[in-house]
Amino acid sequence: MAEPAGLARALARIVAEGGPSAPGRICRACLAVLPVTRAAVTVMAGADRQEPIWASDEVASHLDEMQFRLGEGPCVEAFTAGRPVLVPDLAELSGHRWPVFAAAARRTAVQALFVLPLQAGAIVIGVLDLYRDEPGMLAPDELAAALRTADALLWALLGLRDGPTADGFPGNSGNSEVDPHGWLSGSPLNHTAVYQATGMIMVQLALSPEAALSRLRASAFVQDRPIDEVARDVVGRRLRFEKEER
Amino acid sequence: MTAEQEARARALAEAFVSLADTLVADYDVIDLLARLSSDCVALLSVDSAGLLLSDQRGALQVVSSSSEQAHLMELFQVQNQEGPCLDCFRSSRQISVPDLSRDGRWPRFSGRALEAGYRAVHALPLRLREETIGALNLFSVRSGALSPENLRIGQALADVATIGILQERAIRRRDVLAEQLQAALNSRVMIEQAKGILAERGRLDLSEAFNLLRSQARFQNMRLSDLARDVITGATTTEALLRPGPPTGT
Repeated sequence: MAEPAGLARALARIVAEGGPSAPGRICRACLAVLPVTRAAVTVMAGADRQEPIWASDEVASHLDEMQFRLGEGPCVEAFTAGRPVLVPDLAELSGHRWPVFAAAARRTAVQALFVLPLQAGAIVIGVLDLYRDEPGMLAPDELAAALRTADALLWALLGLRDGPTADGFPGNSGNSEVDPHGWLSGSPLNHTAVYQATGMIMVQLALSPEAALSRLRASAFVQDRPIDEVARDVVGRRLRFEKEER
Repeated sequence: MTAEQEARARALAEAFVSLADTLVADYDVIDLLARLSSDCVALLSVDSAGLLLSDQRGALQVVSSSSEQAHLMELFQVQNQEGPCLDCFRSSRQISVPDLSRDGRWPRFSGRALEAGYRAVHALPLRLREETIGALNLFSVRSGALSPENLRIGQALADVATIGILQERAIRRRDVLAEQLQAALNSRVMIEQAKGILAERGRLDLSEAFNLLRSQARFQNMRLSDLARDVITGATTTEALLRPGPPTGT
């Protein structure tokens, strides 16, 4: 595999630059270094509402779309269960698991698939599907790179949802300096204050987890400070979010 | 404590220690299950033990037994699709048959077991949370129920073995391990989010919020991550968790 650190840097740069092309660029960067053949990204607002964002080719797009039409498959499972679904060999899949999808998938060139949810705790916004035209599990460093790709997609998509002012990293929009806050390196658990603050802002403003995180990001952006630092202010009760009076 | 009780307590402790040892060291799952069968016979005043495991393709497999006779009894249940072990696996509940000659639920199995000299049989599920992966059968040549204490010890032995098996599967299947680890990681993030909610609602500090979450999860016999999810989605009202006094159950 190509240098993983290179991928991490490339992903961080794409997320920092933001914009509607970010998801596709992230996937292409991932395809360039991982031994997978195809990729697709679907954003979801529930098991029965989804929107394909990007697909590398017809096969990926077809497999992706089919799962949601059928209501079964690894994407649906990864999304609802909140964990990756890794199938190193489609031929070995038991008959009970997604019978219709598995039969259809076996008619394509795809032989292995790896689906990663785009999530942070209770925030689950979609899935990344990686398809491979030969069987075999990802090596540990390859799996790590795939998970990083999913993290990058999560942050890029949250940035897109927040609108142009909050694209990319708060305080770092358009800046090509790479990953200043360590979001795309290290463990997601390095950011506990952000998750805790998200919960607190949910209560302060009566918002969903995703909207609460979005407010935190916007606040960090406006203050031009790292999001972890602003989150610590919220947790330390030095910063409160108040509902706007109408 | 009488000398007999003391010997039993020592044997019991040894059984759990050796089961636990197999979990830590590199071990073979079949070895673990063989140990479980023989431990049951040594500790629970039963005469034979047998173990069925799901092959995850919808069928059960006989994986270990303390005697050839017990092995044949397990095989008989699998082949005839009838018997307490199968029902125990399907329902995930303990099944007790104190007297086979007076129980009409599995006529073919009972006939065969009585022929083999058994009068009583007990089945305990091998389960971890939602997942039932098999069942443990205990056979006695005398009629009579298992004492509550023996039943509890039997289930505890089965539980330890189950954890060992699932761990073993996970280690062999790196994809499964990766899935589980990722799920655990995300649960942890969810718990942090729930802590924030409780801290803000109840004016608590974060460790108080965590203690509250943990004690409620224990009290309601829920997984911490499931309770955290409920707090976030509002399925569990935080008011109920924050109410002063002893925690209220559902």
